[in-house]
Order: sequence, then C-alpha cells, then structure tokens
Amino acid sequence: MATTTHPTTPAASPAAPAPTAPRPATRSRRRPAPSVGTILKWVVLGLGALVMLVPLYIMVINAFKPQDAIISSPLAITPDTFSLEYLQAALTSEKFNVVKAYGVTLLFVALVNVCGIALAAPVAYVIARGRSKWHLGLLLLFVCGLFIPGQVTLIPVVFVLRVLGLINTMPGFILFETAATLPVTIFLFSAYLRTVPRDIDEAAALDGAGKIRAFWSCVFPIMKPVVATIVVLNSISVWNDFVSPQIILGPSSGIYTVTTGVYAAVGEFSTDYTTVFPTLLLAVSPAILFFVLMQRHIIGGLVAGATKG
Amino acid sequence: MAATLSPATARRRPAARVWRDRLPGIVMGGPAVLVFLAMFIVPMFLAFVLSLTDWNGYSLNFTFIGFDNYAEAFRNPRTVDAAIFTAVVAFCGTVLCNGVGLFIAALIAGNSRANTLLRTIFFYPYIISALIIGFLWSAMLSPEGAVNGLLGHVGLGPVPFLTEVGFAKASVILTIVWSHFGFNMILFLAGIKSVPAEYFEAATVDGASKWQQFRNVTLPLIAPVFTVNLVLTLVGLLKVYDIVLALTDGGPAGSTQTIVYQVLRDSFANSELGFGAAQSVILLLVTAVLGLAVTFARRGAEKKVAD
Repeated sequence: MATTTHPTTPAASPAAPAPTAPRPATRSRRRPAPSVGTILKWVVLGLGALVMLVPLYIMVINAFKPQDAIISSPLAITPDTFSLEYLQAALTSEKFNVVKAYGVTLLFVALVNVCGIALAAPVAYVIARGRSKWHLGLLLLFVCGLFIPGQVTLIPVVFVLRVLGLINTMPGFILFETAATLPVTIFLFSAYLRTVPRDIDEAAALDGAGKIRAFWSCVFPIMKPVVATIVVLNSISVWNDFVSPQIILGPSSGIYTVTTGVYAAVGEFSTDYTTVFPTLLLAVSPAILFFVLMQRHIIGGLVAGATKG
Repeated sequence: MAATLSPATARRRPAARVWRDRLPGIVMGGPAVLVFLAMFIVPMFLAFVLSLTDWNGYSLNFTFIGFDNYAEAFRNPRTVDAAIFTAVVAFCGTVLCNGVGLFIAALIAGNSRANTLLRTIFFYPYIISALIIGFLWSAMLSPEGAVNGLLGHVGLGPVPFLTEVGFAKASVILTIVWSHFGFNMILFLAGIKSVPAEYFEAATVDGASKWQQFRNVTLPLIAPVFTVNLVLTLVGLLKVYDIVLALTDGGPAGSTQTIVYQVLRDSFANSELGFGAAQSVILLLVTAVLGLAVTFARRGAEKKVAD
C-alpha cells in the first residue's frame, strides 16, 4: 500500500490545522494518541459548532417559556413552566397571521419563479444562439443588472409602479421581484444553453416545429439542471426579501410576507420575549425544513450560481 | 434573429422575409427586455434625475438644483457617519467572513460524515432572512438577554452589546459574520475539492507539510473562488440594511446607521426624496467601482495560477 510509505511524520506540523484528506487507517493504528494539531482542530470546530447552534437552541426552547423564565434561565429547559400558549398566541396573533403569511410568501415564490423562468429562458436562448453584436448587447444589458443594488432602484420603482397603477398590489410586487431575478437567471441560462448542441434545435426545425415551439418542447426540457439551480436561488431570495415587500406592498395593502409580518409583529415589542421567540420560531421553521430536505440542491445551486455568475 | 441563418443569406432576402425571420426572436426576447427596462433601467435613470431635484416625494412642484444634493451628501454629518460605518462593516465583514470561511473550509474539507454535518451547522444561518437573524441576536444581546444572563452566571456584569456605540458596532459586524461566513465557506470548500488529488500527492512526496501544501498548492489554485467570494461579500455588505434595522435600528444615537438605512429613511420617512436618490446613486457608483477594482486587482493572483 502506497500510504504506508507516507513520508510526513506525525510531528511534521503539529499546530497546523490542515486541509486534510482522510487519514490513512494504518497511520492512526500505529499512533494511538492523536496529535496536538488534531485535538486543537476538533476543539476549534466543536466550539464553532456550539456558537452556531446555541442561538437556534435558545430560540426553540424559549418559545415555550414565560417571560421571567426566559430572563432568569435562557439556556435551561424548564419542563415545569413548559407551555404551548405562547406559540399558540403567536400563531393566532392579530398583528401577524403567520399561516396566511406562509401562503402569501409561498405564492410569491412560486409566481416569481414561474414568471422569471418564463421570461428569462426564451431570451437566454435568443442570446445563446445569436451571433450578432445585438445579441451581445442584450446580454450586457442584463448583466449590468447584476451590479445594480436593488435598494438603489427601489425608490424610483415606486414611482414607475404608481404610474402603472400597480403600487401596493401583488402584481406590482411580482413584477419587481421577477425583474430582479432576470440578470442572474439570463446569465446562467445563456451560459448553459451555449453548451447545448445546435443539432437539437435544428432537428426540431426540420420536423416543422416553429422556433418558439421548438424551444419550449425540445430545448427547455434539457435545461432541467440549470432551472433547478435558479429555482433554489430565486426561492431563497424571494422568501427572505424584506425591503421590497415592505416598500412596494406597504402596510396599507394589508399584504404581509413572512419577513414584513415578523417586522410588524416583533419590531415594536422586541422586549416581550414571549412574542419574539415564538414568532421567530414560526418564521424560521419552513426555511430550516426546506434547507434540511433540499440541502444538497441548495448548496449545489448556490455554488453553481456564484462561481458561474 | 434567426439563429439558423448565416448573415450572408439573410442579406439576400427581401426586407419582409428578414423581419419574418426575426419575429420569433423578438417575441421571445421582447417581454423580458420590457420588464427589465421598466423595473431596472428606467428607474436607474429616474434615480439620477430625481437626485438633481429637491422633490419631497408628493408635492407637485419641485426645482432642479443641480448637484447640490451630492454636495450635501459629502457635508451632512449623518451621511458621512453612515458612509464610514458602511465602509467599516464592508471591510471588516469581508475580511472576517472570508478569513473564518476559509479557515473552517480548510479544516473540514475531507469527505467524512462529521465534516458534512459540520458544513450544515456552519452554513444554515445563511438561508435564514437577515431580518430574523437580526431580531434573534437582538433578543440575545439585550441587557437582560441570554448572553448577558450567561455572563452573569460567571460573575461578569451586563455588557452593553447594543446600547453602547463601540459594542453596538462590533455586534453588528459579528452578527453579520456569524450569519454569512458559511456561504463563503461553502464556496471555498467547492474550490478546495476541485483541486486534483494528484497535486497533494505530489506535494506530499516532495515532503511538503500540511501548511506548505495549503499555502503553495491549495491557496493559489482556489484564487478564482477567492475573487468571487471577495466581490460578492463586499458588494453585498455595502448595501447592508435588514440586519441593522432588526438588531439596533441604527442606534445607539444613530451610530450604526448604514447608507441604505439613510437612503430609505430620507426617501420615505423624511420626505427628502432628492437627497435619498443622490445617496443611492453614490452607493451605486461606489459599489460598481469597488466591485470592478477588486476583480481587476485579483486578476494578477489568478494569472499566476494559469502560468
């Protein structure tokens, strides 16, 4: 076995936390005590994991406690004061109808995904297949959207939507969020479509399908992986967006997403922990659940989106 | 334009035919272009036009005042303070998020189960809305919150995490790092895993220590990922808002207000729309310049890999 001739001695880098490949089994058998470096590495990682998890733990356990128990013992699980009434109160709060907010936000996520992909896919196809400088210009136009922070355009967007009669309405919000997804979507789609051979569309054209039909029936199904990436990216950004729904929908519309609802419910009562923790727990649960179920896709999608974008 | 036609054949056709061939392309591209123009390009120019006025957002008369709003942005102490704090957050946040992210990524790059679990634990805050992260930490860092409760048990007095200027600023930055470094870590992990295993084997045969391998093999090869991480974090942190709103609401005494915080407050609550627009245009320019500058500055580091 090649690994037995490993030239590095265990003491070669005792303190360096290394980007290790899995250690060969033969070596750990020869050396019963782990090196200082290994111990240090696991201490650091363990402490780090603790720092990451304790806030989640505090949020969960304190959602079932009365105010005085939260303040006196925030880290303790107290079965004697355990109560579901605070969660119940948050669930039925008049200020923030959580269940409705889930529905509204999910609806937004779904509609923005559908609209964004329906708009972006054909234009990405035109860009990827085109050869003229117009097509390049089109790509550049959308790509410059990547560098415009949404908050910069938000103020004038309010006036454009007012002119269109869409301010404080769901279609207005969906229109803005859809536009916000276009740059990344078009960029990733057209990069992907360049790798799809032209034979496929040409074969479809020979069968007599029109260009548009050929795209939707023959090319679009091939785009599944990149569509999945985009759905992950868009879903996270729409679900978590706060500023645009807060300003475009506005409190006067009575339409709350999960984030604007949390702001309305928690913003003014941030010292009443029996409201804060249950509300946050309810707001976070779907996102955590989605993450646990889709972890591999989410991480893969984020990496693909960032490194190709 | 029809993709299947070469330019030469297209030129020979009569104009009507050419337009008929172009029609599918226009139908396919048109809607997206219209939506993008209406929601991005027109508003961007509108922001610039508004920034030259003294409009308050609702009255019917306003006047063009040239670049006065821009001059005001550099004089107004509120804006200058917000700009400095935003710069500090963006700089410290970028350094810390990438430093911690790279460090943890290097530690858990192996494919063991424990490493996969740790990856999940370090990453999960990234998918939670920044607003909720802010409220959660605000509840934990308040004078009677969990962190001070914990410190009280070991005999340390309450620390004014959110109520004293220096502590509040540090709290904002550290909360951002807590919630964001997992994303940087994920990208670094992807970069480290894409380094061919033979490189590490060759380095091991040459007698390189783990640290030397990291320094001389991993680091240069993940230079492109490093650039992406730096640019994304920097550009993202320059427009930080949600987490500040929830954590400190800009306080104490306005010390943790950021530029976007100012832009939104001036544009809507303070009815100084022109001034708000001027600050947002400045933010746009700074973001674009810094983003491009980092990208170009990193070209050198990336080129070394290519050689």
